[in-house]
Amino acid sequence: MSWTERFRSSPLETVSRWSDMRWPWVLIIALSCSLVLVAHYVFQVWLHMKPCEQCVYIRFAFLVIALGALIACIAPRNLWVKLAAAAVSLCGCVYGAMCSLRLNRIHQAVRSDSLDDLFGIQGCSTEPHYPFGLPLEKWAPDWFMPTGDCGYDLAVVPDGMKLSAMQEWLIGLYNSSDGWYLVPSLKFMNMAQCCLLAFIVAALMVLVLACAALRARFRSC
Amino acid sequence: MFRRQFVTLTAAAAALCAMPVLAGQPGTQYKVLDNPLPVPAGTLVKIYSYDCPFCFRYDTGVDPRILPRIQKEAGLKFMPMHLESRGQYGRTASEFLAMCMLRDEKAGISIEDEASAFKRAMDAVYFAYHRKAERWTSGEAAFIKTMADASGISAEQFEKARRSPEVVRLADSWKAAYPAARIQGIPAYVVNGKYLIMTRSIQGVNGMVELIKELALMK
Repeated sequence: MSWTERFRSSPLETVSRWSDMRWPWVLIIALSCSLVLVAHYVFQVWLHMKPCEQCVYIRFAFLVIALGALIACIAPRNLWVKLAAAAVSLCGCVYGAMCSLRLNRIHQAVRSDSLDDLFGIQGCSTEPHYPFGLPLEKWAPDWFMPTGDCGYDLAVVPDGMKLSAMQEWLIGLYNSSDGWYLVPSLKFMNMAQCCLLAFIVAALMVLVLACAALRARFRSC
Repeated sequence: MFRRQFVTLTAAAAALCAMPVLAGQPGTQYKVLDNPLPVPAGTLVKIYSYDCPFCFRYDTGVDPRILPRIQKEAGLKFMPMHLESRGQYGRTASEFLAMCMLRDEKAGISIEDEASAFKRAMDAVYFAYHRKAERWTSGEAAFIKTMADASGISAEQFEKARRSPEVVRLADSWKAAYPAARIQGIPAYVVNGKYLIMTRSIQGVNGMVELIKELALMK
């Protein structure tokens, strides 16, 4: 029986079995780390879009999700290890979602003509404040020091820098759209909204794996 | 057995998470600075930077509505303090704005007046940065030109003035605002050098004015 047939015939048992394997957790690690790598190497380095304060917090959140999944990889058959791993990953998801929501509000506020959008949110911090006081901006400033403006996704190309045709096209596209969007011409889904979606998907993946594992354990009691 | 253990652990974790909520959160509207700003009583300080999007939005949308009222109803003097630690040309901006402020003071022009050198220079750099996405990547001379063209003070005059003791003293005095700015970011409004308004608690112009008036009366 192929895995798709097995999934169709007994989805809950199949997912429970998956939660005992390493590959779903490795998949979560790979996806989370990929997003951080894309943010740094593609947006920051290649497209010269400097990360804002919330952006670096979002990177941290993805790495926390990956850390949780890594914990699960140590002993994927052990329920307590999986639950601890899920708890860590879910904390990362919640923290990241909150930062994404904040970033989205900031994004709207700096573009809106209405003063109401400006009130009730904090301005730009002069220094980042990571959970547990972690000095990430000192340990890895290239990755965790906010150097961009809060609410703007502007590509700032250093003077004299030679850009490829693709870089020029993308930078022109995003700058003329007043920021990064999944579909720039329609201003559909800004960076914050895309990050929020990613955190929701990650949380669902972790929850499904954790709940499937719990269900299997309860059934065996 | 496992079910009981799991439920107990979950309940304990939930109780732990709930404790900060149950404990309460004092000082949500303002914070008393441990190290008050070295400014005279009767002032409303605004700590800001030219590259801060929120500072720009407050400057164009909120300040024109609150400043006339706090001056009239609370008798407070407005005192902007530019943060040189932000922005590629933070120090240059501080020196230029300090120079403009001193010139306006000598000429008897309020810095909030549209005709003041300070307002013209500040507006020019704000609009260039936040509306035209200007980043002056060619260098400091381009940044100075933006402010010089708007204020009517030439770059040569600025180069002379920026080294004068008065301009240096005023620009240096604004560095004292940095610890207050670190608390909750910028723009940061401080009443009488002591009461930092928590901007996330501000829900409207009237609320902000009433809070400032209340803080102005506090010792």
